[in-house]
Amino acid sequence: MYNLTYKRAKSIDEAKQFIGANPDAKLMSGGMTLLPTLKQRLAQPSHVVDIGGLAELRGIEVKGDRLIVGAATRHFDVASSAVVKKAIPALAYLANLIGDQQVRNMGTMGGSVANNDPAADYPSAVLALNASVVTTKREIAADSYFKGVFETALEAGEIITKISFPLPKRAAYAKFAHPASGYAMTGVFVADFGGGNIRVAVTGAGPGVFRWKEAEAALAKNFSKQAVSGLAVKADGLNADIHAPAEYRANLVKVMCERAVQSIA
Amino acid sequence: MAKVAMKVNGKQMSGDVEDRTLLVDFIRDTLALTGTHIGCDTSQCGACTIQLNGRAVKSCTMLAAQAEGADIMTIEGLAQGDKLHPVQQAFTECHALQCGFCTPGMIMASVGLLKDTPKPTDEEIYHGLEGNLCRCTGYINIVKAVKRASQLMAG
Amino acid sequence: MAEVFKGRREDRRLMTGVGRYTADWDLPGQLYGVFLRADRAHALMRSVDATAARKHPGVISVITGADLANAGFKFPGTMVSYPGRGGQSVKVPQRPCLARDRVRFVGEEVALVVATSKLAAQDATELIAIDYEDLPVVAHPEDAVKAGAVQLYPDIQNNICFDYEYGNEAATDAVFAKAHHVTRLKIESQRICGNPMEPRAALVAYDAAADRYDVYTSNQGPTMFKPGLAYVSGVPPEKIRIMPLDVGGGFGLRSGSFPEHVVLMYAAKALGKPIKWVGSRFENFVTDPHGRAIVIEGELAMDQGGKFLAIRTNWLADQGAYLTAAGPLINTANGMLTLSGVYNIPVGYGRHRLMLTNTTPTGPYRGAGRPDMAYICERLVDQAALEMKIDRAEIRRRNFIPKAAFPFKNAAGAVYDSGDIEALINHALEASNWSSFEARRKQSSANGKYRGIGCATFIEPAGGGAAPKDQAAVRFEEGDKIALIAPITPHGQGHETAFPEIVARVLGVPPESITLRGLDPHHSIPLMGNGVVGSRTAMHYGSALKLAAGEVVKKGLELASRKLEAAPDDIEFKNGRYTIKGTGRSVGLFDLAREHRPDASHPLNANGEWTLSRSFPSGAHVAEVEIDPATGMVDIIQYTAVDDCGDIINHTLVEGQLHGSVLQGVGQVLGEIGYYDRSNGQFLTGTFMDYYMPRAGLVRNLQGHELNVRSPTNPLGVKGVGEAGTTGSLPTVVNAIVDALKPLGIQHIDMPCTPARVWEAIQAAQKH
Repeated sequence: MYNLTYKRAKSIDEAKQFIGANPDAKLMSGGMTLLPTLKQRLAQPSHVVDIGGLAELRGIEVKGDRLIVGAATRHFDVASSAVVKKAIPALAYLANLIGDQQVRNMGTMGGSVANNDPAADYPSAVLALNASVVTTKREIAADSYFKGVFETALEAGEIITKISFPLPKRAAYAKFAHPASGYAMTGVFVADFGGGNIRVAVTGAGPGVFRWKEAEAALAKNFSKQAVSGLAVKADGLNADIHAPAEYRANLVKVMCERAVQSIA
Repeated sequence: MAKVAMKVNGKQMSGDVEDRTLLVDFIRDTLALTGTHIGCDTSQCGACTIQLNGRAVKSCTMLAAQAEGADIMTIEGLAQGDKLHPVQQAFTECHALQCGFCTPGMIMASVGLLKDTPKPTDEEIYHGLEGNLCRCTGYINIVKAVKRASQLMAG
Repeated sequence: MAEVFKGRREDRRLMTGVGRYTADWDLPGQLYGVFLRADRAHALMRSVDATAARKHPGVISVITGADLANAGFKFPGTMVSYPGRGGQSVKVPQRPCLARDRVRFVGEEVALVVATSKLAAQDATELIAIDYEDLPVVAHPEDAVKAGAVQLYPDIQNNICFDYEYGNEAATDAVFAKAHHVTRLKIESQRICGNPMEPRAALVAYDAAADRYDVYTSNQGPTMFKPGLAYVSGVPPEKIRIMPLDVGGGFGLRSGSFPEHVVLMYAAKALGKPIKWVGSRFENFVTDPHGRAIVIEGELAMDQGGKFLAIRTNWLADQGAYLTAAGPLINTANGMLTLSGVYNIPVGYGRHRLMLTNTTPTGPYRGAGRPDMAYICERLVDQAALEMKIDRAEIRRRNFIPKAAFPFKNAAGAVYDSGDIEALINHALEASNWSSFEARRKQSSANGKYRGIGCATFIEPAGGGAAPKDQAAVRFEEGDKIALIAPITPHGQGHETAFPEIVARVLGVPPESITLRGLDPHHSIPLMGNGVVGSRTAMHYGSALKLAAGEVVKKGLELASRKLEAAPDDIEFKNGRYTIKGTGRSVGLFDLAREHRPDASHPLNANGEWTLSRSFPSGAHVAEVEIDPATGMVDIIQYTAVDDCGDIINHTLVEGQLHGSVLQGVGQVLGEIGYYDRSNGQFLTGTFMDYYMPRAGLVRNLQGHELNVRSPTNPLGVKGVGEAGTTGSLPTVVNAIVDALKPLGIQHIDMPCTPARVWEAIQAAQKH
């Protein structure tokens, strides 16, 4: 790790000001991605501003027809929350599949969403559930938030404070974990809001989370595994590496979607 | 350099370290508690697992400064004097360790998983130990030991 | 012997955090070393500029290849002492401890930065500027021998450093020419990273007054580790002390010394301070010797009845950019020793070509040639069964070496000491419910899954070594205590528990009164022997201790005879006491011991030794797998291992060895691969994010059974056990996977059988 200065923010306002004054500073919530990156000397921030401990960023509640999760809420807290299990059980299920026990005890939803790792789990839930990313500046709809590999709509100095999820009629997540890293080789989140409003989001398979619109249309007509089985997924543009060719990931998109649908159909 | 202070195994401890110092290096080098091991550079092996405020975390994926004011337990703090913790007792009874290098982290992760799941199924044990690598035992006896520990803890 | 396992003697220290592995040692005034390594696979070094690094705050010294030019270091050699094809000897590439004018693999040592902190040393390595001129690379054994391939060394033609053969080529060719049927297969045993969980590290101090080096480092036995270090550094062995410590896994990787150790010795002396280096996991990935990396073509000739007539194998074994001491040995001898597997095959021939490539040097990794030989042999047998339409167990039975034929000389001349192969497979088939398998296959098929079952019967060599004998000592100490001294460094095997049990049984005293100690460098007893390698330690050091304990009993008899005033013939020794036969008059061993000073001159002290011998553990393993065609995921439903490892000292420890070695083999079958980009020699699996490691739950149901035939080769009657599981599991699991995919017409699939690779194989088969 390169030399840096650690700063523990006492409030979200302090963090905001500090980041504004120090353009090379990096925000850290759980640190589950940032610290491994720093350890590999792949980034050289001047400061690390720790917002992971801010009580104002924590918490889980249902407000009206939305589930609101504070940005610094740990994966473990989401996975074990009775509120989440009741409101969006698929989200609790997903949270329990992130990383491992130790990561779930430190990592936070806001950190994962801000980082937008193309193989992270949460972005698929945020996108499929049509959630809003609430920041210190504004509210960003999921469809315009994710911009590609580690890229988001967040501007410099903008901090995620919470994620607001509309409650679906039913939702499910199916993940095929990378055999070595445990990240999503492919994860598919399916959300049904009723009235033919279906959203399907895919993580891991491509260079960033994306919606699978053909599946959404097919499922709107017929919410069943068979509806997905009839679709073809093109391998073009999907990730190919030493672990698997793009064709394999294309296959997983379909298979994981089938499995997600099957679990709630 | 900055001073960091925390409670470690029940005792207040502190030291002066560079801000970029990882918690695991603080524990090992500054506090000379070398039971917490480092087995990788990418936060995958779990050998450095400790309890931070009662939860299992990887001390290689935290800055020492992040733990300022925290309550930490390392493998050295688990046994009560000569009396082994039930997880330790189960590990030795079930021959769940060979070279022993992953063992402190494996035990701390097991303590964590048993806290959340006092009567774990096999699947829950696999899930709880996903963040810990062992190259010697094939995990067969580790899984047995976690079950045995669950029995011992139930009394 | 059905005693309850109460835990190992070593466990408490390792479980409470007070074990001391290399990185846990510190010495007053120590400095910190960090190595700069080559970031490319093959390049000329035009210049090395360490000026900025030397000026960096905290940096004490930067040592480069040029600094070592006059250090008097020699180039490391190999353990192969026998000639190859046409009488040739191994061509050993000259490896400097720090690269001087050319780097040949990613990770090669280029410079050592020494600083007052590890962080400062790390910062400074980035300031060293090297002007490289890239060269073409070869990063796979088959690429190395292609026409026009870049030559790594001007004096090593076609990149082949050794061409070795055994068996009878002409006789084998003649049988193949006339055989009714020949089965042929080409397999690859891919490159594996052994990954002991403890990263490699070393702490070296130089004592100028005594002109002596103290080396703290994970190793597999000082007597094996030290000679290489002494040879390369030019420091006489008696001036190097290998300090005893806890070792976090070895698996063969930690048997030899490395350039780092020699450079650290040089630096410790030059700077007058102890120097500590703790390698990162990435450094381990690219510098710990890799395992396997072998391509084998095998052929099996048979008659109409499926009787095997001859076997022929042709190996291309990748040695990496330089040779490790044991690399060429394990890639030749271990194939020869089991050329015909467990079968009565009258003739055979093996040829091994060892090549150099721009990759990390290879060396022993659990099994070290044994799994590869068992893999080609048992894949050939399954393939032969398929082609000949003979049941897989039946074709094996027709060819097994009969129990009565042991000791059996195989087609290469190696002698298998003992075994009962047919009994092993009978037991394994029964324990695995082999006969009712087809019903389970149907069941899986109804659920859209492919189910398969596979077996392998194998034999593997245990023992051997470079030192002619292994020695150990029994020493009486104060307070009715006995110390066992052997020049070994246990690293998970449980020697501290098992060896006292061996001696306790002979002496009739509680094992708790006996403690195993490593060689104490401060009060050294000159003991010779081999390292903790080759599944040999219980056979040799265990036997030496048993014989030493027998010596103690004999010496005690003389003392007892005087004490009891009775003729030795009238005295019997039982349960730790000497008793005049037919009387109640007796004296205990410790009673006698207490009458003498507990030092080196104690009259009951005894030494024992055992000369090199070799046993052949054997086994029959069965795996049942289920494959999800949608994802290609292979699930191991049940693994049954029936092993013959001779007489057993401690069943729980034997079972533990089996578990670990089976899982290491399963890891190789299902996912592990050290992957090089063949175009540029970059290593793409240098973290646990990319390198697959077995995790909890990979094998859920592993049943081990013992069916032991006592080995006549050593006083304990034991055989090796450390490598049996790896040797058996490669062919067993692949045979099961191929069996599962058989309905699709698939006859072979190469390791690692990752979900993607299995899925692709299924897709390809379905298109046909």
